[in-house]
Amino acid sequence: MFGWHGRILRIDLTRGTSRVEPLPAYLMKYYIGGRGMGVRILFDEIDPRIDALSPANKLIFATGPLTGSGAPAASRFIVSAKSPLSNCVASPCCGGYFGANLKYSGYDLLIFEGKSPEPVYVTIMNDRVELHPARHLWGKVASETESTIREEMKKLYDLDNWALNSMGIADIGPAGENLVRFAAIMSDGGRAAGRSGLGAVMGSKNLKAVAALGTGQVNIADAEGFRKAVMAFYKEARDIGEFYKRRRYGTWSLPGRANASKSQAAYNFKAGYSEAFVKYEDPEVIRDLIRVRDEACFSCPFSCGKRSRIKDPKYPLTAKGPEHETMALLGANCGLGNMEDICRANYLCNELGMDTITAGAMISCAMELFEEGHLPEADLGYPLEFGNTNMFELLTQIAHRQGIGDLMAEGGIAFATKYGHPELFMGIKGMGIPAWHPQAFDALGLQYATCSTGGSHTKATMPFYEGRKDPAHFVEFTKKDQDYIAAADSGVLCWIIYHGPLWAEKLSEWLTYVTGIAQTKEELDRLGERIWNLERLFNMRAGITGKDDALPPRITKEPRVKNRVVPLDKLLVEYYECRGWDQSGVPTRKKLKELALEKEGDETI
Amino acid sequence: MRIKIDHKICTGCKQCEIACSLAHTGSVNPWRSRIRVFVGEEFCLPVIAGPYTEAACNSKGIRMAEGIEIDACVICRASCPAKSVYKEPDTGIPLKCDFCGEPPNPQCVEWCAPNALTLVED
Repeated sequence: MFGWHGRILRIDLTRGTSRVEPLPAYLMKYYIGGRGMGVRILFDEIDPRIDALSPANKLIFATGPLTGSGAPAASRFIVSAKSPLSNCVASPCCGGYFGANLKYSGYDLLIFEGKSPEPVYVTIMNDRVELHPARHLWGKVASETESTIREEMKKLYDLDNWALNSMGIADIGPAGENLVRFAAIMSDGGRAAGRSGLGAVMGSKNLKAVAALGTGQVNIADAEGFRKAVMAFYKEARDIGEFYKRRRYGTWSLPGRANASKSQAAYNFKAGYSEAFVKYEDPEVIRDLIRVRDEACFSCPFSCGKRSRIKDPKYPLTAKGPEHETMALLGANCGLGNMEDICRANYLCNELGMDTITAGAMISCAMELFEEGHLPEADLGYPLEFGNTNMFELLTQIAHRQGIGDLMAEGGIAFATKYGHPELFMGIKGMGIPAWHPQAFDALGLQYATCSTGGSHTKATMPFYEGRKDPAHFVEFTKKDQDYIAAADSGVLCWIIYHGPLWAEKLSEWLTYVTGIAQTKEELDRLGERIWNLERLFNMRAGITGKDDALPPRITKEPRVKNRVVPLDKLLVEYYECRGWDQSGVPTRKKLKELALEKEGDETI
Repeated sequence: MRIKIDHKICTGCKQCEIACSLAHTGSVNPWRSRIRVFVGEEFCLPVIAGPYTEAACNSKGIRMAEGIEIDACVICRASCPAKSVYKEPDTGIPLKCDFCGEPPNPQCVEWCAPNALTLVED
């Protein structure tokens, strides 16, 4: 078989057993891989009404036909489960080496079921799938967990240095163990499948880590054609300077752009601009300050990742990032203006295993509550105005559920409601709003509000298409963007590289060369739409309705940025119509029939 | 003619391993590649497979590189009985770089986007 392996590895944690199943052909045909397969399996196998932290939830690590195929920037894996934070379907994605190693081990999907009676970690090396006790790892931070597992793998499989450094590990830190609802699944020294709190799902299953090392191969249908196409793509990318720009600055070019255009999340979204960030508007400044080396995901010639270090003996190790989203949410949004402080916060979140974006939104919410006098200092034990570095202490408390951290670990809505001001938590469906201020672009507010997983930076994003500021078209473009991202997440291609009009057609090209099955752009658009509608049906079963497609009142009522508010109600009417949904956001039978989801719809609506 | 390696530029993306296995086997599998990238925290080091030796040496050990201790076996290019790299994983047949034929057209160099690998004449 080309591209796929056609195999699912299913691990029952309750019994401690594993088995291999064939991958059904309809999944490959209609859902390709990654996010598509993930949501389909969740829809078929779990009841969306369950408690996300109960053993009935399933945790799916999904790769796609392109993962590990050598297609540029195709290393990502998707983790799917029901989210304990938003109660929606969740499918955060993550780069690094884990996805490719899972694929080279011979599996397209890895599904965890049940709950282990004792903490365990799982090692996968081709057909050798083993569960090991992880009592000694419980409580360890992410970097320590990974280095210990590497040592143990070295002994277990008699591995040399190259193999040890080629393997991939996905693990949780103390936040995941303590079921913090926005805990992340960490991977390969600081990468994260961060949004939606799936680290807590992993923790609820007593699963500390999964390590994969594969020695198998991915078969390419048309190897020579593929090679030539990749070389032509290289030439194109080099000629327009894209390789250089991405490698040199990565996402570090964005804080400056966002700040200069007053579109940055700042001071709990009270502003679109941070005075302290002006000095970082030139990305060279950040680069000089903290960069150790440029760090690529597996198989990515763009290498936008950065490894960084600060001169502080308390933070001795290098860290991944901070990326733009982290700089904005833990930085500008919490009033921090010093890159070293932002690096400290990023380092803490990475080691404790927390989503930096929702954590930033939580802290900034607490800061505003404190400044407004709603959150008494006695509850915190220290002052916490904007920019106060006591937030490091608070981050640690959240991860360990100490003091006020215990309440904050339950998520922003629970926390802000307790102190009487739920409107001050800047989140959507419980998930913190990412870095770009929604008031900067109307279409962005719409994207965030309608995103099926909550306020996600990888599912809802800056509108790409030409004419994106043209009010006559951006609802249509919002739908197009969402569908395209869902398709790319199924490939699995990194859409951060292949965004919108820039190389959007490459997805179908790579899929055709690798799998040998011709994929047209129209089919992929339909794939994206099918995923989006199926996610909607899953969420409806979980009790999420059109009313949850909402933005905090600060975004829709208070003009904070560019003297505008997002006219969400008006946009939603247009959006639902564009999607073929009725006015309460329920997919119509006609639309579902078009996507071959009639049966699923009839059972839901 | 040789392939020049600049480890300060290498990003650890391993496209060279993919290119090598694709060119030599028609499928993608870094374990069958004639170039291997050792990924470190401070820098990454691509090493290209050299000649096969029948016996393992005993002169290696820990050396200093870039101020960091590094196992000399990591930077040694030989395919030897003591190492698992530079061998076909199924058969154990040693692998050696052949510059992708004549005239030399090494695919690892072609696929190296940051130009950490370059083909030089000297």
